[in-house]
Formats: sequence, structure tokens, C-alpha cells
Amino acid sequence: MRSFNRVTALPPPADLMAIGPNPDAAPGRSVRSGIWLTHILSLLFLLIWGAAASVLPDYLLPGPISVLRLAASLLTSPLFLWDAFCSVWHIAASIALALVVGMALALTVHFVPATRIAINGRLNPFLSSFSTIGWIFLSVIWFGLNDFSVIFVVAVTLLPFALSNLRTGLEQLDKETVEMARSFGHRKTRLVGLVIMPLMVPYIFATLRICLGVAWKVMLTAELFGGTSGLGHLISRARAEFDTPAIFSVILIIVVFVYASDKFVLEPMQMRLRRNYALA
Amino acid sequence: MRSLDADASASLAPRRLRLAQHIYAEGLVLVALVGWWAMARTLPPYLFPDIAEVFRAMVQLVGDPAFAIHTAASMSRIVVSIGVAMLIGGALAVLGRYVPALHDFIHQRLKPVLNSFPSLGWALFGSIWFGVSSFAVIFIQVAILLPFTLINISEGLREIGAEEQEMARSFTRARRRVFALVVLPMLYPYLIAALRISYGVAWKISLVSELFGARTGLGYLLMDAQTKGRIDIVFAICLLIVVFYVAGDKLIIEPLSRLYRARG
Repeated sequence: MRSFNRVTALPPPADLMAIGPNPDAAPGRSVRSGIWLTHILSLLFLLIWGAAASVLPDYLLPGPISVLRLAASLLTSPLFLWDAFCSVWHIAASIALALVVGMALALTVHFVPATRIAINGRLNPFLSSFSTIGWIFLSVIWFGLNDFSVIFVVAVTLLPFALSNLRTGLEQLDKETVEMARSFGHRKTRLVGLVIMPLMVPYIFATLRICLGVAWKVMLTAELFGGTSGLGHLISRARAEFDTPAIFSVILIIVVFVYASDKFVLEPMQMRLRRNYALA
Repeated sequence: MRSLDADASASLAPRRLRLAQHIYAEGLVLVALVGWWAMARTLPPYLFPDIAEVFRAMVQLVGDPAFAIHTAASMSRIVVSIGVAMLIGGALAVLGRYVPALHDFIHQRLKPVLNSFPSLGWALFGSIWFGVSSFAVIFIQVAILLPFTLINISEGLREIGAEEQEMARSFTRARRRVFALVVLPMLYPYLIAALRISYGVAWKISLVSELFGARTGLGYLLMDAQTKGRIDIVFAICLLIVVFYVAGDKLIIEPLSRLYRARG
């Protein structure tokens, strides 16, 4: 994501920083007909899926009802819940790692301007152009098949995203507040702990939200090749048995879970944060 | 004379900073190389190959016509996928912006699903449905890139307010002229942003598509090297991908984004 920092004329897209009014709000007029059309088109999509599935064999395209039923039975199976738990743990650990390292690097650039090119011009481009698959294969060779491999791969994939976004946040901090705080004391640790970190909360949260989205996208691949647990590993077992319906169900559960957690937990939290920080 | 001196010392400070920055930057590269060398000395070669070995593998790869074919396959797929993803994402964004009835379907149904769909899911579906083919790879990559282009282009279209359009329309009623002279230039930075993100994601994430859906391409080559236990080749390909990425960024994406700045 270094792109945004290079082209300074560009505001970051709303999904990165969520600036301004709710970007998904419908534009006023004809909202009514929009709602109906939305439902009709969604239904139409399900119908087409069902029709195609009734013609095609199950290993190519299972129908929506059987996928839903399988998903429901998966959700009550302890084996599935264990894998889901492992995936959530992998994601939490890797995001925490990426945020801490990203924050440390961003603060280094902020306070030691001499490191700017080293981090922004060498490390970040290298990380952001290093292929995730490359990391997966390397970590499997280095660390073997285990949780650490998965966490390492996801964290190192997230790091450039975290670094770029946190850096943008630091650049956008209210300069006068920081200046004033600086005039009260010399200690940088106090400045960071008492002023910069609290001011950075909305940006850290926005970064967290982006990281979550990217993490879910790449983690399954990491688990499939480098893990011994987690949903990616579950998919790998299903794939070995040509169990396409199981793959569909797991992905359906993931899509619903990711969407719901973003929409009903993270988005309201972010709105509230932005209101509290008078950014909205 | 005094003012000249002041100027000189003022310009000296940034120059000194610049020098320090370069010392740190090249120092970091040096430290990384020394670290690599030290790791390669302490670890066995099947875990951590030394620099000379990887360099030899890189030279060998670059000189190998088969590698050129794999690289060309990956690059052409990426170019086609980005193009298709920009077209479809752009079309959906335009529909969502100018057909209010479709706005909710695109932004509250399609976009969230695309955005939360794991890339492995597309990779598996693509290879199940379309087998091992370039079409499968392109399908997978387009599906992975689509949410990024859709989000960025919609964002750009949202930025073009009703007032700008109304003003443009008060000057001419030719819709095509309004689009070409007002909408497109205002949209350009967002198109570039969409292009940049797609380019990064394509190299980083969507090479996954070549693990399942192809017998050619750099992703396939990486997997092949890994199954053969040739870690020197894995290293070499990863580094070459970094080189290709940076070259494409500097030679294509950068000039394109400067084009806009020159206009603006």
C-alpha cells in the first residue's frame, strides 16, 4: 500500500481510512426501488446458482440448499469448531505481531528522520513486493508445518500494509498538539505513551480493520501449505477427498463471518471512535 | 553576503539529513546481506543457501529460455487480469453511481461478498471449474482483484460531486464531452490508485492461482522448486519477482501516475 504515500495528491480510498459520511449509504432518491431490486437480484442469483447446481454434478457445483445444510452441520461439529478456533488464533497472533512491528518501524521513521529512506525506500518496497507464496514455501522449509509458520507468513504479508497505514496516521497527527506536548517535556517515551498513542487510536483501528480483511484472504493459503490446523487445513483435507460441498460450506461460513464481524462489530466501533475523536 | 551564508547553511542541513538517510538505507542493505551470509554459514544449505549459490541460480534462471516462457506467462496473465478487473470493476462502479436502483445491490451485496471471499476459495473454484488452463488463472486473478478495483473506482466516482457535473452540463449537453473532459480527469487519480493496488495484489497474492490452475508461470515454478527441495531456486525466484515488480512499478505505473500530475 505504499502507493498512497508516494502519490501525495491522492487521498486514501474511503475503505482505508473511512473518511466522511458512511460511504455505503445509498444516494437519496429511489431508495425504495433500490431495496426491492437488491433483494430481487440476490434472489435471482440464488435461483441461478440452484438451477446450475441441479444440472451440474456435486463435485463441480453443489446447490445452495445442500451447502447451507452442510454449513449448519459443520457449525455444530467440534472438529470444525476447533479448526475455526485455530484460524482465529492464527489471525489474532499475526495481526498483533504486524501491528507491533509496524508501529515500531513507523515510530522509528517519525523520530529518527535519518532512517526514512532505509525503512520507506528499502524495507517497505521489499516487503510489499515479496510474494506471499514465496514466504509460505520459505517458512515451511525453515519452520516446518506448524502454527508458527502460518503466523509468520500472515504477519509478514500484513507488515507493509500496517507500516504504510500507521505512517500515514503519524503524518496526519495534529502537529500543534504534538508540538505543545513536546514543549512540556523532553522524554520521548512519555510523549509517545501519553500523547501520540492516544491520538493514534483511530488510525490503529483503521489499520486493524484493513489487516483483518487481508489476513482472512491470505491465511487459508498459508494454512493449506504450512499448517496442521485451521480452516485452510480443513479445506486441504476436503480437497484431497474431492469434497467440493465441504469447501463451499467452509467458504460460505468464512464469508458470512468476515462480513458480519466487519459490519456489526468493527464498523460501529470505528464510527464511535471517530465520533469520540471528532473526526467524523 | 550574510543572507547567502544563511542560505548555504539552511541548504546544508537537508543535505546532511539526505546523506544520513542514504547511509542508513545502504547500511540496512549491507546489514541484510551480512546477516544472510552469517545465516548461510551457520545453517545447512538446504535451509539457507548462501549468496553466491542464489546468485548463480538467478543467473541460470535468467539465461534459461524456459524461465523466460514462465515469466512471460505470469506477466501476460497479470496484465490481462488487471485489465479485465479494471473494466468489470469500473463498469460496476459506474452502474452503482449512475443507476441508483442498483447502488445497494452492488455496494451492499456484491462488494462485501467479493471483499470477504478468501483468495484460496477462488483458486480452488477456478481450478475445479476450469481445470488447468490460463483461463482458470485469469478467472481466479480477476476475482481476487475485483473488490480492489471496484472500491477504488467507486470512491473516485463518489468524489465527483453533483455540482461539478451540473456546471459541466451547463456548458455543454454532450454527455460524452462531459465524461471525457470532466469525469475522466477527476477520476484519473483513482484509476491509478486502483491500478497500483491491483498490480501489488496481483504479484503478491494472486500468484496463488498458478499453484492450482497452471502448469506454467512463476507460481508453478516456485511450487516445483519447493517440492524438489531446491531452496536456492525458491530464493532466486522470489528475488526475481521483487525485481520484476519494481521494474513494472518504475517503468509503467510511475510514468502513468506522472501523466496525471503533469496534466493537473
